Amino acid sequence: MFVQLLFALSALLTVGCAIAVAVTKNIMHSCIFLLGSLLGIAGLYATLGADFVAVTQIMVYVGGVVILMLFAVMLTGGKDFVSRAQNLLGLAPAMGNKWTYAIGLLVGLVVLLTNVKLIMNISKAYPAKIFGNDFPSTVNQIGHLLIKEHVLAFELSSVLLLGALVGAAIIARPRKQG
Amino acid sequence: MMSLVSYLIISLILFIVGLVVMIARKNIIAILLGIELILNAAALNFVAYSRYVTNNLDGHVFSLFIIVIAAAESAIGLAIVIRFFQIKETIHVDEATQLRN
Repeated sequence: MFVQLLFALSALLTVGCAIAVAVTKNIMHSCIFLLGSLLGIAGLYATLGADFVAVTQIMVYVGGVVILMLFAVMLTGGKDFVSRAQNLLGLAPAMGNKWTYAIGLLVGLVVLLTNVKLIMNISKAYPAKIFGNDFPSTVNQIGHLLIKEHVLAFELSSVLLLGALVGAAIIARPRKQG
Repeated sequence: MMSLVSYLIISLILFIVGLVVMIARKNIIAILLGIELILNAAALNFVAYSRYVTNNLDGHVFSLFIIVIAAAESAIGLAIVIRFFQIKETIHVDEATQLRN
């Protein structure tokens, strides 16, 4: 019962905040709604019994990525925040016009129709199974998997993070002239 | 109520909303927000399949690697956005027409 309540609340939070990200005019509010959506996904991970992934989601996304996005929004909100073309048309900053939204919704509709077909096949292939509500801790097994089977990807991801760190520092460093 | 299909539907909605955000918004940071939504939809699918189909934890490991890659991508993308703002004084995507200043 508790798990189903958590599932319903998390699904509502995820979908509602994701739609709010698409339609909010203020980019700062979009970042805050993205934070709500990512928290909802962490709740969905919890209902799936993935405790370690849920905690990692909260730590990395809510604690890291969204804060980084908010810093980037604040660092780039200069005087010329409204573009010249948008200023002529009198649109809100950082929003698309009706054509971009129409094209986006069209592409979304195509993806929706194709995937609805796929999901109907999946619901036939994997009928709803009843799982118990026992959620054993997954941290021990994930640790073994990371060290044994997926050790190459694990080490490569550390190299990737180091490269991303150095690359971001080099790209965003202040320059003397220009 | 909780089955594989319900998670797949939530993931599909997240993917479509992320796609609409990427296509419709004109702000580079908003496009990065759309990319985050799409990556989260993929990671949610991995964990849902891991619980309801394969019944082992490989999907969790894939999900963790997706989170790692999304964090790295976000850091690089925001560094590029900040550099772009230093040059152009705007982050509107239509202004990004040159590779050099």
